Amino acid sequence: MRRHASALGQQALLILLCIVSLYPLWFILQTALKTQQDYTRNPTDLPAPFSLQSFAAVFRAMPFAQWTLNSALVALVSVAAATVIALLAAYAVAFGRFRGQTTFLSLNIALMALPPVALVVPLFTVMVQVGLINTLPSVMLVYTGLLIPFSVFFLTNFLRELPLDVIEAATIDGASHPRILLRIVLPLSLATLFTLIVVNTIWVWNELLFALVFLQNNDGRTVMAGLALFQGRYSVNEPLMMAGAFLSILPLLILYLFSQRAFVRGMTSGIGK
Amino acid sequence: MDNLSIGPTGQRRRGWRQRLKTTVTAIAALAAIATAGLSTRPAQAADATKITYWFWGESDIPGIDTWMKGMVSKYQAVHADTQINVVPQSSDTLIGGFRLASQSHSGPDIDTQWATLPTLTPYWNKAAVAISDYVPATEIAQWVNASENEAGGKIVAMPIYLIGVPLVWNKDLFKKAGLDPDKAPVTWSDFLADCAALKAHGITPIGMGNSDGSFGAWMFAIYLKQELNSLDELKSAIGNTGGFSLDQFDGLLTKMYAMMADLVAKGYINSDVSSLSLTQGWQLFPQQKAAMAFTTDGNVLSWGKTLGEDKIGVAAPPIWGGGKLADTYDVTQSSDEFITSWAKNKQAAADFLVWLHQPDNMAALYTQTGAFPADKRFPTSSITDGLAKQLFALDTAKQSIWLENYIPPEVDSDADTPAGQLILSKSGTPEQAVAIWNRVIKKWRMQQIPEFIQFKKWAGGNS
Amino acid sequence: MMLRRPRQLWPYLFILPALIALAGTFAYPLAAVIRFSFYAGSVGDLTYVGTMNYQGLFQDPDFLQSILNNLKLLLTVPVMTVLALLIALVLNSQVKGWRHYRAIVFLPYILPATAIGLSFSYLLSGNGVLNTLLRNHGIGFLARDWLGSAANVVPTIGSVIIWQQLGFGIVVFVAALLAVPTELVEAARIDGATGWQIQWSILVPNIRRTIEFFVIVEAITVLSSIFTYVYVLTKGGPANTSSVMEFYIFQNGFENGAIGAASAAVVVLLVLASIFIGIYLRLQARAVRVAR
Repeated sequence: MRRHASALGQQALLILLCIVSLYPLWFILQTALKTQQDYTRNPTDLPAPFSLQSFAAVFRAMPFAQWTLNSALVALVSVAAATVIALLAAYAVAFGRFRGQTTFLSLNIALMALPPVALVVPLFTVMVQVGLINTLPSVMLVYTGLLIPFSVFFLTNFLRELPLDVIEAATIDGASHPRILLRIVLPLSLATLFTLIVVNTIWVWNELLFALVFLQNNDGRTVMAGLALFQGRYSVNEPLMMAGAFLSILPLLILYLFSQRAFVRGMTSGIGK
Repeated sequence: MDNLSIGPTGQRRRGWRQRLKTTVTAIAALAAIATAGLSTRPAQAADATKITYWFWGESDIPGIDTWMKGMVSKYQAVHADTQINVVPQSSDTLIGGFRLASQSHSGPDIDTQWATLPTLTPYWNKAAVAISDYVPATEIAQWVNASENEAGGKIVAMPIYLIGVPLVWNKDLFKKAGLDPDKAPVTWSDFLADCAALKAHGITPIGMGNSDGSFGAWMFAIYLKQELNSLDELKSAIGNTGGFSLDQFDGLLTKMYAMMADLVAKGYINSDVSSLSLTQGWQLFPQQKAAMAFTTDGNVLSWGKTLGEDKIGVAAPPIWGGGKLADTYDVTQSSDEFITSWAKNKQAAADFLVWLHQPDNMAALYTQTGAFPADKRFPTSSITDGLAKQLFALDTAKQSIWLENYIPPEVDSDADTPAGQLILSKSGTPEQAVAIWNRVIKKWRMQQIPEFIQFKKWAGGNS
Repeated sequence: MMLRRPRQLWPYLFILPALIALAGTFAYPLAAVIRFSFYAGSVGDLTYVGTMNYQGLFQDPDFLQSILNNLKLLLTVPVMTVLALLIALVLNSQVKGWRHYRAIVFLPYILPATAIGLSFSYLLSGNGVLNTLLRNHGIGFLARDWLGSAANVVPTIGSVIIWQQLGFGIVVFVAALLAVPTELVEAARIDGATGWQIQWSILVPNIRRTIEFFVIVEAITVLSSIFTYVYVLTKGGPANTSSVMEFYIFQNGFENGAIGAASAAVVVLLVLASIFIGIYLRLQARAVRVAR
């Protein structure tokens, strides 16, 4: 009997927790589906009438499609570049033997924890000097660099668990390292790479500070920087802002729904075992 | 804790390859959708003159963004080789956003700032050029209040509209509180008495928003001015040019913040003033959740449409201060347009701005938004609407000063804004609020030396 | 497990791209920011001013307030750790549907703080959803101006941070708890230990290392990656009472164009952060040793 009651209590607690976790997201969606008048009348109720006009308005009021494209491009390029660079480095750390091997790995671990804001002022001046400010490559370059420490750390941890004898055998057979990396290690690493790509893509998608500072042209912004800057402009049009917020989250939600395990594994990997 | 499949062959690996493929496809699809969304926008002329225009005004004049949009398409229809990209700005990032862009000498070709110092400062910092170098004097002579942006004999920016800042009240709510709905509070004791009556009837007397610091800054603009005898007092206090001292200025500020703290303590201001932006706070008036507000002509007209013009009373803000300027009103061009120093086509930008002042375009501004164009060619006889007439009469009756225009933008954003927030959010005393001003002014003098020198020159020259 | 092989040349070629990227993204900017901290002026027009920026920093109440707020927000770390641990223990007792619960509570962690901040700014305003709900349920005395008053704003931002980070802690702890050998629990049970005794005396000590890791990772996050919350929720207001170091750096470096002052603030932040980074490095090194 007591056991039963405690199980009920646990369920109640967890359901409450889920409500708290999901409510802000639900609030975004339900507000996005309201008209302005409906929201003003009652911010908490369900949408009545149900309206999609705010979603359409987002594309008229802001260059939302362009922002989405920018974010996708930036994520694609910086994540791809960081993955390739980090895979090479991690392969060297896991299977090579060179002076400074541990130092290199420790360096990456330390840089993982470095406050990004420390870099924004000097990188801004560099981008101004080389004329990349207000261009997508400026953030692509910086994001690539910022993603590398975690990616090296993450991939090294994984590669070190691969059976070394496979690599050894290949080396003895006379295969070159680029060949081993491509033909043997890469196929074994797909799941891990997928996880890494997911985690890094989310980081890039969500980044605000650099995007805000580096991208000054309205059409050239990422989704997050665009939304943050339009917040004040449309502060009295809650459904519009919430529709924008929902659209900015949607790709992540979809990704999360079909690759939840990768998320969990990747995002918790900074925590040692 | 990781259960990665590391077998060299097998189903799971293929599964991952599949997922990887799906992810790449998904990202590609996203990019494709976005591209498709883009291609629905009108094709752009290949060798067009591109002008990026960071525009602000909607907060003063609801509807002005739409007017500007219409103007741009009208202009582009005639000047196919010019392509103007208007980017609406928000009040809370107007100064900071432009300052950030100026550091890299990039950003808009035309920018909007608030009049006088927020406009003159970028000019002094070589981020803006004087518009009078690109526009004939005969044209500038037609602009109203162009002198708000005069420095060293040049006119830096172009005004578009003039707005006054009246007090508005809801006549129905006044009636409900047993007040005469047609009697404006003229003196401060009238005002406090009205507030008390409203409050006693469960009506929020004043509805404003200050999460962005704007309401506090407005109180400074309206009420600190009422304590001054002349603008020179403010200029010499900030510029340290002798005469009126910073200590004396501090004394006036303390008095003003004590008055604001009193309004808050008595519950005369909406309780959520600190979590609403100015624009959000203003919604309380048309929603009939507050009986009074300080607002712009443009908003009064827009609310007149929502509530009915006969439901709204307008008057000059009640008089609180005892300085010689207490009897002035609060009309300003508010915001103005200038050309940036890095703009590639300065003349083309100037041509577009001047074109906005063509009589039919200014007339369109009035008919679409109710805003009074800052142009002498605009026939005031076309103001026929009752409420608009009242506002126009207020705007033109006496001398006007908007005091916020006369403090350096850094002092505005780092002192005026937080000091008002401190008082209105009940987080500090008037003395603490004044200490912020004192510290920021001294820091500005020390850290922005070129700006400070220019300010002194300007303060001296214009006195 | 490293094979004994002679030192090789190829690994250098393999790490070269990473080294170049790290030099460009981290090494140069860090050197530059230290240099800038002794200069005043704007990009391309800098004057050497010695330690004036640092002196100015420690006389600037806004900066001191920003540091203080970062320190206050560090208090969210123990709170979220304890909460996450308790919930993880509940989930670990294999309650029905625990996997689904885990998936749901993890969701906030992946969401962009920008969008979440927008949502919370409406939920938490003076007459926003939260206060409306409180008032409608007869507990209106609990309603307050969550973001608009100096007394509440930092705890409110802290709560939003906890809301978003909690799921991360839960997932990490559940994973660690699942890895605790069942024999340990069984042995304790045979010795007559009851449910909560097992939890506290067997399970929690067993995942101590994970807890330490979580605490340090979150401390680093709260110290150095909460700009978005402050920017979207309050822009440092009211009256700069919710500014944090990152926001101070952004405001001074960009909106006020005081690169020197911002760089000096960066150096102070780096000094503080290096304490946590040092601990983090030690924990990682230990994790590697344990894994071998």
